[in-house]
Amino acid sequence: MAGGRLSQGQLIAAAGAGVILIASFLDWVGSGGGGAVTVPGAGTVNVSGPSFNAWEIPGSVLDVFIVVTAVFALLPVLLGLMGASEEYSFLSAGTLILGVVGVLLVAAFLTVDFPGSGAERKIGAWIALIGFAVIAFGGFRAMQEEVAGAI
Amino acid sequence: MDANRLSQGQLVAAVAAIALFIISFLPWFDLSGAVTVGGTTIGGSKNFNLWQAENPLDIYLLIVILVALVPAVLGLLGDGGDAPMASMATALLAGIGTLLILYQIFDTPGDFGRKIGLFLGLIACGAIAVGGYLSMQEDVGGERY
Repeated sequence: MAGGRLSQGQLIAAAGAGVILIASFLDWVGSGGGGAVTVPGAGTVNVSGPSFNAWEIPGSVLDVFIVVTAVFALLPVLLGLMGASEEYSFLSAGTLILGVVGVLLVAAFLTVDFPGSGAERKIGAWIALIGFAVIAFGGFRAMQEEVAGAI
Repeated sequence: MDANRLSQGQLVAAVAAIALFIISFLPWFDLSGAVTVGGTTIGGSKNFNLWQAENPLDIYLLIVILVALVPAVLGLLGDGGDAPMASMATALLAGIGTLLILYQIFDTPGDFGRKIGLFLGLIACGAIAVGGYLSMQEDVGGERY
């Protein structure tokens, strides 16, 4: 494992990438039509409306953006595992840029661009928001470490 | 202001960004259907531009447009050297934007159909990516700074 060669910022960004990938499979949007139904002889049954994760939201491009950002943030780790010795300084800057744009996109999704009327915001979107912020911080930290290492 | 201060890449990206903004108001998707009532079929369709479709693509492309225009504006103001990451950000974000529009062509929201704006947007976003890439190469070559 080449983890020792990875900077702290790159590791933080990679952790953020894991968070957004996991979050993409959690619920992002719920119909909000759930409730408790009492069935005679069977007691009370909780009925929930359909929920969608990032891959199931119709026509959304967030799933593709999540994958691209995660790959970008994980590239230093993957290159390290493959034993690549070259340093790609643009990766840290790209990670920072994609992390910031991801925060903006998910924040817009949760506020002004939320699909459907009456739908509920679910935990997956909030976790992804945190994940993108972690990626942006990791990219920024990695850039700082590269500059410090060059001096 | 002097347009000669802009590099070729910045100019390409800025013009394409303005084109993409205009294209965003053209129809990107349409929804059509027909209902038969008592033997009479009534059909209709409605067009949606980029901003009317419920999709984060509009916010993303707005970010791409702004990022592509920033180096041009800074260049016109004579502060081009203060945005070292701008060319790379333009190329990266527009490249991903092109990928997202391409994906949208194959995976339209719901039962929506594809309209001209979607294809013109793809070309304009690709042009922004090319402009950003050219600008990156010019930055490395030190032609401007």
